[in-house]
Order: sequence, then structure tokens, then C-alpha cells
Amino acid sequence: MRLGGIAGFVVRRLLLGVLVLFLVSLVVFAATQALPGDPARSILGRTATPASLKALREQLGLSGSVFSQYVDWITGLLHGDAGNSLAAQEPVSDLLGDKVVNSAFLVFCAGIISIPISIAIGSYAALKRDRAFDVTSSVSTLVFAALPEFVTGIALVVIFSTNVFTGFLPAITIIPPGARPWDDMKAMILPTATLVLAVTPYVVRIMRASMIEVLESDYVEMARLKGLPERTVMIRHALPNALGPTFQVIAINLAYLAGGVIVVEYVFNYAGIGGALTNAVSTQDIPVVQALAMLIAAIYVVLNLLADIATILVTPRLRTRL
Amino acid sequence: MVDNRSPEAGADLDRLSLSRRELLMGAGGVLLAGGLAACGSSGSSSGGSSGGGGSAPAGTPKKGGNFRLGVTGGGASDIVDGQSIVTKPDQARLIGGWETLMTYDEDYVLGTDGLAEEVDSSVPGQVDVRLRSGIEFHNGKTLTADDVIYSIQRILNPKEGLFGAAGLGSVDPKNLKKMDANTVRIGLKQPDSTIPDQLGQYFNGIVPEGYERKNNLKWIGTGPYQIQSFTPGQQSVAVRNKNYWRPASDGPWFDQVTVTDFADSAAQVNALLAGQIDAITDIPFAQIDTAKAQGIQILEGHGGGWLPLCMAIDMEPFTDVRVRQAFRLMADRPAMLEQVLSGHGSVANDLFAPFDACYSSDLAQREQDIEQAKSLLKAAGKDGMTVDLHTTNGAAGMVDSANVFAAQTKAAGVTVNVKNDPNYYGDQYLKLAFSVDFWGTRGFLPQVGLGMLPPPCPYNETHWPPKSGEGSNYIDLYNQALKETDPTKRCSIIHEMQKAEYDVGGYIIPFFNNLVDAHSAKVQGFKVSKATLNLDTFGHGYRTIWFT
Repeated sequence: MRLGGIAGFVVRRLLLGVLVLFLVSLVVFAATQALPGDPARSILGRTATPASLKALREQLGLSGSVFSQYVDWITGLLHGDAGNSLAAQEPVSDLLGDKVVNSAFLVFCAGIISIPISIAIGSYAALKRDRAFDVTSSVSTLVFAALPEFVTGIALVVIFSTNVFTGFLPAITIIPPGARPWDDMKAMILPTATLVLAVTPYVVRIMRASMIEVLESDYVEMARLKGLPERTVMIRHALPNALGPTFQVIAINLAYLAGGVIVVEYVFNYAGIGGALTNAVSTQDIPVVQALAMLIAAIYVVLNLLADIATILVTPRLRTRL
Repeated sequence: MVDNRSPEAGADLDRLSLSRRELLMGAGGVLLAGGLAACGSSGSSSGGSSGGGGSAPAGTPKKGGNFRLGVTGGGASDIVDGQSIVTKPDQARLIGGWETLMTYDEDYVLGTDGLAEEVDSSVPGQVDVRLRSGIEFHNGKTLTADDVIYSIQRILNPKEGLFGAAGLGSVDPKNLKKMDANTVRIGLKQPDSTIPDQLGQYFNGIVPEGYERKNNLKWIGTGPYQIQSFTPGQQSVAVRNKNYWRPASDGPWFDQVTVTDFADSAAQVNALLAGQIDAITDIPFAQIDTAKAQGIQILEGHGGGWLPLCMAIDMEPFTDVRVRQAFRLMADRPAMLEQVLSGHGSVANDLFAPFDACYSSDLAQREQDIEQAKSLLKAAGKDGMTVDLHTTNGAAGMVDSANVFAAQTKAAGVTVNVKNDPNYYGDQYLKLAFSVDFWGTRGFLPQVGLGMLPPPCPYNETHWPPKSGEGSNYIDLYNQALKETDPTKRCSIIHEMQKAEYDVGGYIIPFFNNLVDAHSAKVQGFKVSKATLNLDTFGHGYRTIWFT
């Protein structure tokens, strides 16, 4: 019964996600259509001739109606064919395959480090509320939350690579063709640290807030009055209830990372989707821009769905409402 | 048509990506250049002496090491081709892998230090090329006349859309004769004294017969390094050519050359400071002092690139020569150089092609003269005039130049409204009365072929030459110069052409930019040169540099 409830919920949310992606696809398509002037003309620039314009329009699939162009694009996308990159003249999937893996690994490293750390710091700060640890962590998280990641990243580079401890850590991440980012973990340290510093503060603060709320609740007092050890109170009773809201924040932060890596990849010359996206925008490589916009949107949808499911799993009373 | 400005314009990402768009469709416009009496290259220069040389290489060269170079300006559109480039990292890859028949030395003087041991253009209408014997390609095949014929025909094939086609426009692709295994006679459709220069342009590399960008010969050349791997937008690795034809004492020295693409020049400088790479192209001026303080060496090469302010001589308000002269007198060229390039360049005199042996350096340096400008404008009935100056974020400095000039004209009571238009290179390009453009280093005559003649020459921003008065015989002079095989006589014709440009032309040319690069102190052998490409032509294809 309960499982059925969750399954039904997941199905409904999946359908909703598909609807969201459909709407996003309309927006992305409309945005690329709304580029000033004729895309073919803007690509050809000063060398446009009637013949070359016609050829490029055909190549871009611009000759049909707007509706048929959209259908062509979305049909291709559903078949896993995002078209050909205009700049590289090869399939978008070939162009982006390795870069998606590289970016995903960077987000993974940042997530796997920042999530446990922020949950631990947030919980401990709540437990030691208004004591030295809490005050210190609150102030420092506020500072890091206020710093844009490129500032953090450049500061880390200055300290650990170029000016203070020159050459101690790599200033940029070079991923040779054919290699994987995990082949040289030393080069991952600074980009990962930058992302961890960017994301952790938010999670720490929400974790602390929801933990404080839970610790003041009746059932935690009850558990303490029963004489349970503080450890058990925290881990068995308080933590699961405090995690619900935190999952939402983690999901939003991870989703943010999927887009936020762009800046960090730029600072560290990391070969990921960020660099591909900025390059595609500057060369007006529309198929690549479209594919990456859809990919990032899909990551948002999926992560939010996972967060909702995780919240329900740790919050029994929500299940009854399904 | 193919934009053959870009490879030489080298100093900028944006101008290179422009050419990419043009390459995409490979429109058939190369024929245009052929129809014109050759957009050829400047006469074989007679040897400049100043400005070259520079820091003497310290120590004895030794073998070994992986030279790691960081280059900005690349991306998904990167290619490897012995005869073409799209982005700046492509230049860095081409230059180690392929070589040309003729070469330019550090003073931008053409010579036969390349694949040809002799190039004879003394008979008008033909050029004889004799190859050095015993040169082998990376795959062991011996270089012969057949490869030269194939290479030239590939450049001229409109379907390939290659940069070199415009400059070699007077070559008849059906009239390339193999005289013997090492000699080719290049037949011309009309006399063109500039063919030897074209044979020295780095993008006119010699490829083996059958070469294509995507077949099994794609990375085969005769250069000091052979490409082993390449990922667009990321990295390429080349290894030393063990079979290289020059004496061992002439290099190459490194075991390997790794070229890495950078999206951001700050990351590029950081990587150099942290010791992850050994050299970078185009260090931002603001970072020079920081880099120097950490022991990084700055290499500032003399460049011949320029950003003209273009007045169309047949459009209002510039039909009156007095207005053009007034505008030229309003420009404070040293101030523009300082404000746009932080002084990293040299003041120009409204003439292009400063490295050409025939450059008229004896014409008086034009200086700002607001009073004279005012009285010229008054005489023309244009005092207190207003004009739009069109520009775009194309090459670095195009917008800054426009803004600085607009500020300078205020003193003469002239209002210049700067219009920064992202679609500048669209329909209106070349149809504007007043605009900013960019050009790279090249000799005088090829530049004329690209930008100073009526259609079909492609980029005549100033609608030069005038129909009457001084300069109206410009086209005749150009054709005479192409036919003239005597360098001294050719120079005097060129001086006459330049005098007309100087007196009544439509260009305001404030400065020539330098190429400012940086490298680690452990790299030796770089020279301060006059060059088209960064880092002393990438350490002459990574052959004349080594690790201490």
C-alpha cells in the first residue's frame, strides 16, 4: 500500500518532469529562434552569398516551418541524436561525451565531499548552539556563501599554486585526450575545493536550522527523558527528521553545480561542459547550446525528483498523504 | 569567399572565429581573387636590418623534454591541416608539422631556407622551384615534385576553401610542370612577381601527394615534429621527427611538444606561473609585471598587425579630401597606442605593410594638429560636424580604438558617435562611410590585392582608389609592380602608390601591434623577431628553442 503510494508518486512526478522538460525544450528552441536576424546569415557573416545561405539553411533545417523545425529537433533528441555541431562538424554526442563525463566527475567529487561534511557541521553546530563552534561555523559559512566561486577559485590558485606555495598544487586541470579526470587526482583538488566551498555553506545553514527545530521538538525531549544516550537521540531520532529539508537544499545545490561548474571550469581550464557551452555560445553553435541547455534542465528535474523521493523516505508522515 | 586575412591576423580569437564561419560553407569565392591580377605578395624583400636579433640564446642547445605550450583562442572548431587553420592553436600545430618552400627570417626577409633550395622567378609568367634532395616526410616517403604539384593544386582547389588560394590566384593549376624529380615549373596566368612570397606563407605548407584533412596522411608533413594525437579544443601532442632533414645541430631538440587550449588567459598565466606549462601566447598586458616578478620571461615580437579607421572616399562626408585630411590630423597616434595597447606596438603613419622592404619610411610622421584640422574642416564647410563610427568586438582593440579616437576629435569640435554593432560583419560591412577594421601582417602588394582595389578584391573598406587626381593611376601602378621583376624598380612604383595613400587615402592607421608572449626561464633560444605568428613563429616550429 505504502510502496504503491510511493510508486504512484514517482510516476506522477516523472510525468510532471517530462512536462517540464517539454516546456523547457519550447523555451530553448524559441530562444535560439529569437537570435537576432537569420541564424544562417549571422553564422556566415560577411561572406554570405545567396547560394551559401540556402545551403546553410538546409543544413540547419531552417528551410521548413518553425513547427516542423521544432518537431525535427525534438524527434532527433528523443532518438538520442542532438544533431551536428556547426563548429566541429561532428555529432554533438561525440563532441560532448567525454566532457559530460569530466563535468559529472567534478560534480561527483564536490558532492561526495560537501554533503557529509555539511551535514556533520550543521548538526554539530545545532547541538552546540551559540557556542564557539556554532559561532565560528556560522560566520565562516556566511563569508563563503557571500564569495562568488571565481573569487574563491582564484584565491586558492594564488595561495596553493602561483604565489604563496608556488607549484604546490596544479593551477589548472589538464586532462590529456583519452585520459580521464581521475587519472590525475592531484589536479582535481583545487576545482573540487572551490565547488565544495561554494556549496557547503548553504547546506550547513539549512541543516543547522532544521536540526535546531528538531532538537526542540517534543519527541526528542521524550527520547532524552527516556534516558537514551545522546548519540542515539541524534542519529536515530533527530537526524532523519532534520534531513528532509536538507535533501531539498542538497538537490538544488547539486543541480546548481551542474550549471555552476561553468565558472569553475573556466578558472581551471577544466575540459567539461562549461567550456563547451561558452565556446558554443561564442561561435553560435546552436545545436550544442540546445543540447547542453536540455541536459542541464534534465539534471535539475532528475535531482529534484530524487530529493523529493528521499525526503518522503525519511519522513514517514509524508507517505500517508500520497 | 575564404577569408585569407585571418591566418596572418593571428593575434586574436574573434577574428579567427570569423574565418571559421566563412570556412563552414566554403563558398566558391576564391575565383574572385584569381580574376584579379593576383592578390599576390610583396616583392622579395632586399633585407631589412633593424629590429631583429635580440636576446642572444644562452648556452648550448641540448636534446630532451616535453615543451608544453598554452594557447588561447581555440575551441571545438580547431583543426589540424598542413595548409589551413581556423584558430590560433591550429597555427601552433601546423607550424611544427609542416614546412614551406620558402621561409621568412627573423627580419621578415624572404629566403630559401625552406624545402626549396632555389626559387627562380626571373622569367615573367613562370616560377621554377628546385627542391632540396633527400627530404623525407614523416612516413618515410621522399619529397618530390609530385608532392609540390599536389600541394599547390590542393591550395587552389575551390572546394577545399583554403587560405592560400587568393594569394596564389595567378597560378594556373593546370600548368604545373614536373621538370625532373626535384623541379617544378609553376606556370602563371599573368605575370606576378609576388609568387615567391606566397610560397613562404606558413599556411602554404607542402603536404604529401594524396593528403587530405581526414585521411591516413592527415598528420604527415616534413616538419620537425609529427602530430601524434589531437582533440579539438583541448590538446595535441607531437613528437620529434627523428628523420628530420636539417643537420642535427639545427634542432629540433624537444622529444615532444604538447599544445593545450585555454579558454581564459588568466588560467593560462596561472598555469605558466605554477610550472604546468612552459610558454603562453598573448599574455594580458596587465599581467606582465606580475609574471616578470616571478621570473617569467616576456617575449615581445614586432608585429605588423593594424586596426585602421576606414573612411570611404566616395561617401559623405569623406568625398572631400580636406575632411579626410582633417580626420587624419585629429588623431593623436602615440596616445592611441598607449591607451589601446598599453604602448605594446609602434606608431604608424597611415600606411600599412611596415615590414615590406619597399615601405616608405621617409614620409614625414603625421602628428596631431587640431588647428590645421579645424581650418581644413572650415574650408570644407564641415566645422562642428557629426559622424557615426561603426565598430564591433571583433579583433581586440577595435572598440577601444574607436572610443579613443572619438574622444580626441572633440578638441576640433567634431562629434564622433561610436556604434558598437555585433552584426558589423553582416550586410553593411564595406558599405559604411566610417568604420574600424583589422588586418594582420603582410607585404604591401598582397595587402593591396585584398583591400585597396575595386571588386573582385574582397575587402576594400575605403573604396580606394579615387577616380581622379592623385592616386587615380593606382591600379595601373599595381599591375606594373606585379610585372616588374627588378626589386629596385618595383620599390619605386610602390613608393608612388604609398605616396598617394599618404596624401589622399582613406585609412587612419594609428599603430602596429606587437606580439607579446611569455615563457619560462628554462626555455632558451627565442629571438625577438618581426613575425606574423606568436612566440618567434612558435620558436620556428619548436626547432630553434630548447630547455636549459
